[in-house]
Amino acid sequence: MIYMVSFFMVGLVLGLVAVASNPSPYYAALGLVVAAGAGCWVIVGLGSSFLSLVLFLIYLGGMLVVFAYSAALTAEPYPEAWGSWSVVGYVVAYMVGVVTWYVVEGGVEEDGVVGLAGLEGYVVRGDWVGVSLMYSWGGWMLFVGGWVLLLTLFVVFELSRGHYSGSLRALE
Amino acid sequence: MTLVHFSFCSAFTLGLTGLALHRAHLLSALLCLEGVMLSMYVGLSSWPTQISLFSFSLVPMLMLTFSACEAGTGLALMVATTRTHGTDNLHNLNLLQC
Amino acid sequence: MNPIALSMILSSLALGTILTVSSNHWFLAWMGLEINTLAIIPLMAQNHHPRAVEASTKYFLTQAAASALLLFSALNNAWFTGEWSIMNLTNSISCTTMTIAICMKLGLAPFHFWLPEVLQGLNLTTGLILSTWQKLAPMAILYQISPSMNTSLLLLIGLTSTLIGGWGGLNQTQLRKILAFSSIAHLGWMASILPIMPQLMILNLIIYLIMTSTLFLTLKTISSTKISTLATSWPKTPTTTALTLLTLLSLGGLPPLSGFMPKWLILQELTNQNTPILATMLALSALLSLFFYLRLSYSITLTSSPNTSNSPLTWRHNSKQPTTLLSLMLISSFFLLPISPLMMS
Repeated sequence: MIYMVSFFMVGLVLGLVAVASNPSPYYAALGLVVAAGAGCWVIVGLGSSFLSLVLFLIYLGGMLVVFAYSAALTAEPYPEAWGSWSVVGYVVAYMVGVVTWYVVEGGVEEDGVVGLAGLEGYVVRGDWVGVSLMYSWGGWMLFVGGWVLLLTLFVVFELSRGHYSGSLRALE
Repeated sequence: MTLVHFSFCSAFTLGLTGLALHRAHLLSALLCLEGVMLSMYVGLSSWPTQISLFSFSLVPMLMLTFSACEAGTGLALMVATTRTHGTDNLHNLNLLQC
Repeated sequence: MNPIALSMILSSLALGTILTVSSNHWFLAWMGLEINTLAIIPLMAQNHHPRAVEASTKYFLTQAAASALLLFSALNNAWFTGEWSIMNLTNSISCTTMTIAICMKLGLAPFHFWLPEVLQGLNLTTGLILSTWQKLAPMAILYQISPSMNTSLLLLIGLTSTLIGGWGGLNQTQLRKILAFSSIAHLGWMASILPIMPQLMILNLIIYLIMTSTLFLTLKTISSTKISTLATSWPKTPTTTALTLLTLLSLGGLPPLSGFMPKWLILQELTNQNTPILATMLALSALLSLFFYLRLSYSITLTSSPNTSNSPLTWRHNSKQPTTLLSLMLISSFFLLPISPLMMS
């Protein structure tokens, strides 16, 4: 289990390297999908199954679909992936940076993952309890979250209002 | 520094560096921002498991809500930019330079 | 804008700042900052002009990155110390990244590049909100974490900001850019007194808010955004124009006006703390700012005597804009100096 979680942690970092190395948005979204999948595994390996499920369903299922759709709309005729030289340069530089930091830090400890051996086998993990607090004591937090979502709806409507210029003017 | 701490820290730093160095597309910058928020989510949801403070678990949920709001606003801004500037290329955002 | 949407947005703007100012937990403070950022963006882009949209995009990217960095610093601090309260920011790396995040939010040098560009793209009302109300929440956080912050880093940021705020404004002809650089310079003064005497930072912030809103409201009244249109403000509102001279000198920090009070007290405190070189450099950098304030006042009041205008177009339109707030702000940006003994006690 420890090795698996460690593997997916490396996957998270590699996914972010893939996003940050400036490929075309089309491929950067792919890198983000990899990073989000690895993040799900890391969280579930650390013992928070509900939060992992939220990440999987909301983030991968909702937001990344929208991002992939937007990326498909802005597709370039000659997209750059991780084979083009500038992107490779970024990837190498970022990897060297991460490895240097690892070496400077003098390696890392493993104690983050061993503590949950006792937790395996329980159906209800602690994070279910934590999240359900949002409906009792954390009610105002829930209210603020809902308020912000409503606000965002107004913001998006205001921003993407197109009364004077036709939508998709770039395509005409 | 534990492994999970190191990995989400380096993921965050990578995302922020990518956001700072990205000069091509607005969408790439927004994707970097999403990556930053993803690493924050991993960090926030692994912190309570380290010290068994499970009432903290609602914080990553709320953070995901806020990052969804940010992503929505960012995409709406991308739509607005494409309408006014004709493209989402960040080089074209040069009307206000000193 | 639709009144329902406008009321929603304005109340969220209020909610964000109040949430940040009154919170004890880093996450709530972050939530407030996010609400602030989200709420002001439709106000910035309300006329859908390319410049406005560009300004709101730049503002969004900077603020989102800065608040992500803020939450990251708080999370790092929690990983090392197990503490989420704002007062207990003890880890040194987290303190440094937090300083950087808040400086980026406020637009302090060397993270100031977005501020002149963003302010240039807005109309004057939104610019007023951006340079006054939006500063409150980060300033409140800065005030709360000031005991644990790195003194020399803050002093360096403050000095750089005053110098860059002075130098950057020298070659500008656009009033909003000049105001942005003036804001950078004033925030630099606040940052340099913050690790030594945070109360003076609050005083400086209040005086800065009063003076900046005076100038923005004046410019809104005479509806002018360039130096070249300033000289025609005599026929519009003679009294306000004459008093703008005093507002500008107050922003520059000249003695009988209230802008002198924070600068005086800050310089005195810095000298008391045995940092005469820093105090001298701050005082000299105020001269750079004073140069462009004087140039503004030269073109607004000193180039043309009060006379009747030959042009029929701008002769004393009845101004539709409410001026009650402007008059209050004008009075308080001139006459606050005599209350400084009251504050010292």
